[in-house]
Amino acid sequence: MIEQIQSVLTNWDAMLPVLPQLVVSGIAIGMLYALIALSMTILYRATTVVNFGHGDLVMLGAYALFILMPMVTFNIAVESSALGLLASFVPPFLVALILSLFVLFAMGYIIHRVFIWPILKGPHLSLALMAIAIGYAVRGVIRKEYGKEVLQMPRPFPEQEFEVFNWGGIGTYMTLDEMIFCGVVIVMLLVSYIVFSKTRFGQIVQAMFQTQRGSSLVGINVMHYNNLIWGVGCSLGALGGVMLGLALALDPDVGVWTLLRGFAAMTLGGFGSLYGAVIGGLIIGILEKVLGVFISTAFIEITCYLVIILVLLIRPKGLFGQHATLRI
Amino acid sequence: MKLNRSIFWIFPLLVLALPLVLNQYLQYVVNLILVYILVGVGFNIVVGNLGQLAFSNVAFFGIGAYASGILTTQLGMPWWLTVIPAGLCGALAGCAASIPALRGVRLFYLAIMTLAFGELMRWLYIRTPGLTGGSMGLTVPEPAVFGWMLTTEYHKFYVFLFIVVVVVIATSRLLESRIGRAFLAIKNDENAAAAMGIPTGQYFLLAFALSGFVVGIGGSMYAALVGHLSPEDFDLIQVILHFAIIMVGGLGSLIGSILGSILITATPEVIRHFEWLVGSEEWIFGVSIIVVILFLPRGLSSLLAKVNSIFKDRYYRN
Amino acid sequence: MALLTVTNATVQFGGLIAVNQVSFGAEPGKVRALIGPNGAGKTTLFKAIAGEEQLASGTIHFQDQAIHTLTPHEISARGIRRTFQTGGLFGELTALENVLTGLHTQIPSSFGGLLANTRSAKAVEKAATKKALKLLDLMGIAHVAEQWARDLSGGQKRMVEIVRALATDPPLLLLDEPAVGLAPPVRLELMNIIRRLVDEENIGVILIEHAIEFVMTVSDTIMVLNNGEVIAEGAPEEIRQNKDVLEAYLGR
Repeated sequence: MIEQIQSVLTNWDAMLPVLPQLVVSGIAIGMLYALIALSMTILYRATTVVNFGHGDLVMLGAYALFILMPMVTFNIAVESSALGLLASFVPPFLVALILSLFVLFAMGYIIHRVFIWPILKGPHLSLALMAIAIGYAVRGVIRKEYGKEVLQMPRPFPEQEFEVFNWGGIGTYMTLDEMIFCGVVIVMLLVSYIVFSKTRFGQIVQAMFQTQRGSSLVGINVMHYNNLIWGVGCSLGALGGVMLGLALALDPDVGVWTLLRGFAAMTLGGFGSLYGAVIGGLIIGILEKVLGVFISTAFIEITCYLVIILVLLIRPKGLFGQHATLRI
Repeated sequence: MKLNRSIFWIFPLLVLALPLVLNQYLQYVVNLILVYILVGVGFNIVVGNLGQLAFSNVAFFGIGAYASGILTTQLGMPWWLTVIPAGLCGALAGCAASIPALRGVRLFYLAIMTLAFGELMRWLYIRTPGLTGGSMGLTVPEPAVFGWMLTTEYHKFYVFLFIVVVVVIATSRLLESRIGRAFLAIKNDENAAAAMGIPTGQYFLLAFALSGFVVGIGGSMYAALVGHLSPEDFDLIQVILHFAIIMVGGLGSLIGSILGSILITATPEVIRHFEWLVGSEEWIFGVSIIVVILFLPRGLSSLLAKVNSIFKDRYYRN
Repeated sequence: MALLTVTNATVQFGGLIAVNQVSFGAEPGKVRALIGPNGAGKTTLFKAIAGEEQLASGTIHFQDQAIHTLTPHEISARGIRRTFQTGGLFGELTALENVLTGLHTQIPSSFGGLLANTRSAKAVEKAATKKALKLLDLMGIAHVAEQWARDLSGGQKRMVEIVRALATDPPLLLLDEPAVGLAPPVRLELMNIIRRLVDEENIGVILIEHAIEFVMTVSDTIMVLNNGEVIAEGAPEEIRQNKDVLEAYLGR
């Protein structure tokens, strides 16, 4: 480790111009972590349940799009159908995306209503295991049906790369995908900020986070709102999954990988903080890339584990997890 | 027929005769069940008795297995001499895993942290090929006991059975004593436990170390059983398996751990017999856990207790 | 000799001073009651004595030894036992096991002895069980010994908690609202038990209570707290007539 740091220091001049590229790609992948952490945070804030099966639902989002895509394109061929009519105005990828988000919304709604709500007052262990088991079952189905071959995620547009800026002859590049990812995540962050702080829905969710029992006493249908929040959380996660599928690949086993990065982002940012989750995701994305190149490739894998362990040992409330920020 | 406590003696004696009726493959499955009995019993100490949501069990399991494997391959020790060191390595990992709990990390935070610990260990198995064989895995020589080679599954069975009986009886004695009561007291109310003069920190450490020890021994047996360790053996699927064992069996119940490990280990082998089900193990497994949590939240041991009160487990609470 | 001496005890939560410069003593064979409106700092003071809260300043001595730097289990082992306002029982343990947990520090079985199941380990456990059953019998609740604590009635729970706290014959007992939620006849019974303990066993009792008649009947001395400060102290009759106390309670 020390030798590596020394070599970094001696080669500083050569390494430094690479740094912007690393930071930019770190931000791009960090945005995805941020979106997944954001969806988990929304779930946690409303229902105070940490969904240990979230990674697999994120994965399912990508597969849902993959499965729906041929159906949408088929319907476009049959122009008389309603879907075909819609698809003549909107690109099929977008139609499939929206449909898959709806599917995952329904999944989240049903999962909470049928599996989580009945045991919500039970021991935490049952809740954790239930979430894990749901994720495991989802993965099992996907693996059985689509796990045998390597599948290509449908692309909405060809891959393109742009030079963002140039420093000493070494350019910093960003792909079109990455730009769109960043844009989507920023929009989603703004939307959820507005929904949670400005609308009545957000106030109700806030009240439920404080006390579910109290909320039900003042006439809030807690179950209904929890169902909705699980739907929203899952479809946001699915959006992250689709982007993850585009950035990496379709892989039924990506669940744990995703889950731990989402956890790391949440832990670093502070559990329950919306912008904490986003900033945590970005920091972890950048750390992975920078440490991976500058110190050891091992850090690409273990940054998130180390972040979780260190943050919980040293500062369990994370960067923004104070009580004040719990009520953005 | 009226059941009485003597079945707890008759049953293991009947088990002794198993090799007479089983073929090598079925004997292997039974041996695997014995391994998972220790995994379940050890895991239950932390989760069922101490009541902590810790996922570190897979790490203990892996560390025990690799400790045994490394000691036999690198130092040429006979397998039977590595069983206790493997348990001690597991106990050491248990002490490490208890640090966050001692620092006040609880519930989901503890779960996430111990999950990260397990994944970090798995990464370590891959990244230290000099010791662990890396992602290629580590081939463990045939286990030896006092110079005898355990060449067949039948030989392994008797050795494993001996270890399991000793460890389970020892664990049950500890859990029946003031130590077990202190664990349950901490699970129920940490402040009140401290007000009874129970040094809660020490008991956290003890529970994690004990759990690590028992599971570490299980890991050592696993190494001897499968003969080849690879990092994928200790991934998140194992976490689910371990949880399923104690959840299906019954939290905090010794009998439950045994029942759970029999059922959970045998199910995939049964599925393998039906061709149209092959490949469906995962989702069937997931769905069955969901069904158990929803409809049998106290596990199988609660069903057995209803059948006959002698199955009422003294440590079974939920 | 004073059993417990609290000198200028102050407990702070951030900027909030929950207990401010409180001094008092507790003697064996006497009941001292702490009363005061909600948020007066009574339970915080209890927690400070039991070691669950740190003192910002001041000292607490028990049998002439400083205990304010000790951890809760060390203080408990020295002989200060407490009951809890709500839910102090271990619900998943039986009543008997709850009392056995109370005896934890007096069951000296060693780790090795337990593993080998030696005769002495068995004898120690057996003796403790016998003692616990006897104590439950003394309080007239031996018939619930094998029931899970969470299935007991409110009165039985309170009795088990007191038995559990008394199991080690502690010189000082802290009772946090022992009478809350109890039916009048059970209250009377509890009152008699406390008096009997104090008069016959010569233990010291400090109790927090809102039920004013209960306090007036059972205590020897009453101390009134308001906003973390002692505003009155004296025999029940004096307190009944004290103007400051009436003001603090009625807010005049």
